[in-house]
Amino acid sequence: MTTTSPLAATAETTADPPTRLSRRDATPRRGRRHHLAVAGFLAPFLTVFAAFYLVPIGYAIYQSFLKVERDGTFGPARQVFAGLDQYATVVRSNDFWDSFVNVSQFFVLSIPLQLGFALVFALVLDSPFLRGASFFRLAFFAPYAVPGVIAALMWGFMYSPQLSPFPAVAERLDLLGPTWVMFAMVNVVNWVYTGYNMLILYSALQAVPAEVIEAATMDGAGQLRIAWSIKIPHILPALVLTGIFSIIGTLQLFNEPQVFRGISSAVSSKFSPNMVVYATSNVPDYHLAAAFSVVLALLTCVLSFLFLKLAQRRAFQ
Amino acid sequence: MSRSIWRHGLGALAASGVLLGSAACSGGSGGDSDPDATAGACEPAKDGEKVTLTFTSWVPGMQETVDLWNSQNPDIQVDYKEVVGGNDGTYQSYSNQIKAGKTPDIGMVEFDNLPTFRLQDGLANVGSCEPVVEAKDEYVDWAISQTSFGEQDAVYGIPMDIGPMALYYRKDLFDKAGIPVPATWDEYYEAAKKIKAEGARIGDFPTDQPAWFTAMAWQNGASWFSNDGDTWQVSLTDDKTQQVADYWQKLIDEDLVNTTPGLSDVQWQALNTGEEWSIIGAAWTTKLLESSAPDTAGKWAVAPMPQWEAGGNAAGNWGGSTAVVFKDSEHPYEAAQFATWAFGDMEALTLNNKNGGQYPATVEGQESLPALTEGLPFYGDQEVWGVFAEASAGVDPSFQWGPTMTQTYSDLADGIGRAVNGDGTLSDALQTAQEKTVESMKAQSLTVAE
Repeated sequence: MTTTSPLAATAETTADPPTRLSRRDATPRRGRRHHLAVAGFLAPFLTVFAAFYLVPIGYAIYQSFLKVERDGTFGPARQVFAGLDQYATVVRSNDFWDSFVNVSQFFVLSIPLQLGFALVFALVLDSPFLRGASFFRLAFFAPYAVPGVIAALMWGFMYSPQLSPFPAVAERLDLLGPTWVMFAMVNVVNWVYTGYNMLILYSALQAVPAEVIEAATMDGAGQLRIAWSIKIPHILPALVLTGIFSIIGTLQLFNEPQVFRGISSAVSSKFSPNMVVYATSNVPDYHLAAAFSVVLALLTCVLSFLFLKLAQRRAFQ
Repeated sequence: MSRSIWRHGLGALAASGVLLGSAACSGGSGGDSDPDATAGACEPAKDGEKVTLTFTSWVPGMQETVDLWNSQNPDIQVDYKEVVGGNDGTYQSYSNQIKAGKTPDIGMVEFDNLPTFRLQDGLANVGSCEPVVEAKDEYVDWAISQTSFGEQDAVYGIPMDIGPMALYYRKDLFDKAGIPVPATWDEYYEAAKKIKAEGARIGDFPTDQPAWFTAMAWQNGASWFSNDGDTWQVSLTDDKTQQVADYWQKLIDEDLVNTTPGLSDVQWQALNTGEEWSIIGAAWTTKLLESSAPDTAGKWAVAPMPQWEAGGNAAGNWGGSTAVVFKDSEHPYEAAQFATWAFGDMEALTLNNKNGGQYPATVEGQESLPALTEGLPFYGDQEVWGVFAEASAGVDPSFQWGPTMTQTYSDLADGIGRAVNGDGTLSDALQTAQEKTVESMKAQSLTVAE
């Protein structure tokens, strides 16, 4: 899912069905040379995909079924098969499940707002009345060009009462205290990703057929009505896509809380699932860290899949 | 153009294949190596053989020390690489490198993390290497004894520098307000109240520096870890530690200290603007404070750490490092030779102090290094290093570190973070860290006494 580029995915969903059918008919007749060509074109991708994706995943799964054994205080470690021992520890780990509670709260606070703004910005950019659309498109998207760690550092400086250029605001709000620090981080993430999601939605809007909009205009629909009844239903698949990206992104939250740990005492070293994995591999307890990773990956898949099913039932009926 | 991209791509692919392959191979064989292989096998390279050693550390300006060595030792060249601080990522790299069998010859490991790497069986015992045997007596007792883990004649790290602690304070502000420099923790508490009345704070309780809190407990004679060869004892909640925790809890509850991350921009800013009047720091804080609070030059002074018992001379130790020789090094003899020189030779120590602010771990270095007998203008020309020499003599030599210190620290820091934000107390933080440490040690298949 993550390897599909957003633009390709939206293009595919809006592609003409007949073309696709005829393409499928043509394939079996081409014969061997065709297969060789396909293999040749796919090889570079598959090699890298296997080396940097499948092999590490396999290695992590393998590691998660091992544990360490040793004799005495500093006896050399032996790796032995442990069955599901590490997974039992994962199930019992409060840190791990607490971190899911944290990112769930983060998701609720962050994603509706983020996608809402992204949608509004995209619709505004797409409206015929806006001047300088290309400038605003770039301006909204620009924060995404700032690396996540840099963005977190920058906002962190602004939040800190001692360092902020707006000390009065920062002091009054205590944005790095236990109550507000979650909102403070949500704001950083939204600042970075709203423009990114906007761009996905905006490109989907470009594929809305002009005839449909023209017809609606002829029928006397205003811009708001067109946006609500034509554009938004048309780009629902793209919205679902941004939703899935958001689920994956939130579950993999790492940069922002990790940076904020350096300026706020209210962010624990196990705030997000990824930070739990990181802290565990720092011990270093590679086998438990591997088990955490595998469970995190599975849960991410399950949640994305459930969301997709749920959304499809509503969006594509 | 496109051709060179192609070639680069292939190169990268090949390299990654090699890496993966070697990681997979060594993953299985790591535990099988003969434990006696390195002991007693510390021989110099054959005559005429040129040795190249790799060395990584995060001491600022260490390159200059290495350059000096390289110019004097054409047959033993050291290839130096500066890396980020241990807990900022280098320790994780070391762990990965040990697993993959790709360590440098020499690395930098702080005292508190030494057992972690010993546990991974990543360190060579250089106790039998001739250069170490010769230099062993020159180090401060407690520093060299921390590197043996109770094993006869073992040395798993060559002390680089130590971090005996003292109280850095704004002499001008204390004088002006008529507050005496606190010699005991009771006096520190009284001073904190008066400074709060002046609209400032005496200092910071660094929420993200569990090693600092550990040093506070160390000063009071706490004993967190011990082992008798088979079984570990863990007691993060002993009486001495409890007393320290209750004391700081009181200061936090009464809002007498700030609770921001330590050694952070936030704290430096507070010190630079006079919002905080003091910092309990280590010897290496001297240079750091100088560069981080430049507006306050000349206004500082250094006094011994406040005492639990009036008239005492106990000090904590915060940080300090060793140069370790990794087990996979093919030249432990030369590595030990370099390390004992780089952290024992007077010329090298002078460079380390000038560039990296390191406070030497050798008695001779502490007593007679010319740079350490000078007054420092930033501290009103006070001879501050003398204070640290005294502190070094007051560090309890019996303190031992646990084998999963990274985890202990991270759980302790999390608990401290909760405590200063009103969720539990420092005492709770210690209790949780205790439980999680025992759990984590058991996961490493260690025997822990309940």
